[in-house]
Amino acid sequence: MTVVFNVNGVDRVSVRAPMTPLVDVLRDELSLTGAKTVCREGFCGACTVHLDGRAVMSCITPLAHAEGCEVRTVESLAEDGELSPLQAAMEVHDAVQCGMCFPGMMMSLTAFLEATPNPSREQVKAALVGNICRCTGYERIVEAVLSLSGRFAAPEARHHV
Amino acid sequence: MPENRNAFRSHPDLYMASSLPDAIAALAQRGERGQALAGGTWIMRAPVRGEAQDRDYVGLSRIDTLRELRRSDTALAIGACVTHAQLARELPADPAWEALALAAAKSANPAVRNTATLGGNLCAASFAAADLVPALMCLDATVEVEGTGGAERIGVEAFVERREAFVPGTLVTGVTIDRDAARRRISTHARLPLRRAGDYPVAIVSMSAQIGDDGKVLDARIAVGSVEAVPRRWTAMEETMAGRPLDDAGLAAKARLASAAFTGRDGVEAPGWYRVRVLPVLFERAIAQLRQGAGR
Repeated sequence: MTVVFNVNGVDRVSVRAPMTPLVDVLRDELSLTGAKTVCREGFCGACTVHLDGRAVMSCITPLAHAEGCEVRTVESLAEDGELSPLQAAMEVHDAVQCGMCFPGMMMSLTAFLEATPNPSREQVKAALVGNICRCTGYERIVEAVLSLSGRFAAPEARHHV
Repeated sequence: MPENRNAFRSHPDLYMASSLPDAIAALAQRGERGQALAGGTWIMRAPVRGEAQDRDYVGLSRIDTLRELRRSDTALAIGACVTHAQLARELPADPAWEALALAAAKSANPAVRNTATLGGNLCAASFAAADLVPALMCLDATVEVEGTGGAERIGVEAFVERREAFVPGTLVTGVTIDRDAARRRISTHARLPLRRAGDYPVAIVSMSAQIGDDGKVLDARIAVGSVEAVPRRWTAMEETMAGRPLDDAGLAAKARLASAAFTGRDGVEAPGWYRVRVLPVLFERAIAQLRQGAGR
């Protein structure tokens, strides 16, 4: 089976088996090593990427589910070498950690802020439930996210809040 | 290292079905070896659980009709491939469906909610911490299955009992909830994650009730999830609640006694006795949430 998909704006083809976890294709074939393989059960979030704009765990996403989709990895966040506002806020708040959980946190939070531009502290913490850190904790990361409040476009109207 | 354990192993086959009839035919053709794969969040974790991932999988995610949530005058119909996130987003805000809305919005973590489906939650028989299943039980939902022999509608509790015994080629296509019956009810979903911000639940109490004009419970439906291996109704407390107001002072003591009827499952995140111990607390929380709903 040939899977055609777009990764960070570049069309890609993989001939790996369709049940291959997407993270293995990203890392082994495309050398995009920002997404990490840690728990492999959708629990720690170190492999979080965007699939057609939704944050997903790429360790439990079969390659076949990426067919025809746009995949964004942490490598795409800094466009033309410019840190994204979220990345810049992390630097300012000295929140950057060891690099194992952090790429996944950036992908989860990027999607979260696009949908929730003015989050409460509780909402930020709930958004990070699927991103586990065993280094320094979450407080500076939460502060960095809260500092961005209002800097993202408002989401579409929702039926249910 | 997980890397070594997984990266080089061979992967099984996955056929992506183009339509519902195609999926049913593909599953029937594969016989006992066939298995439907929706979001994949349970099946993809099989290696970590030490289970074989060796079925012939039939993918459902390209079947658009299974991703629809429809409201008619008589029923709410939710397609099997509607994700938890979609359900939380699209369910109409209404005390009647509150149990399902809360279950969908709070389950697992955001990225899993973006992927995991209603049908997967119903069919993953060994996933004890499913949030949607007890919520559907308290809402008296009907599961729709379709196979080579035609379509069938089954109550959610009967479905859970039968879910591992369907003939090959049978597929869950969705769930319906009777709109009129639900309208007269209020519902809620109380769950205990180990972290306040969210997580998989140690125990769940899903509850719906119809309240009479005198403020007394006409009838209640309660389902308990994650405590035992399979969610089930808590009929003893349903009977206790009937005829009493929600603020009846005796309910909490009755729930403490009645919780002894459950045998908690041991797990890495919590021992079985703890799940049973927190059950009456969750019952009280559910009652408090229902009272808020009744006041809206």
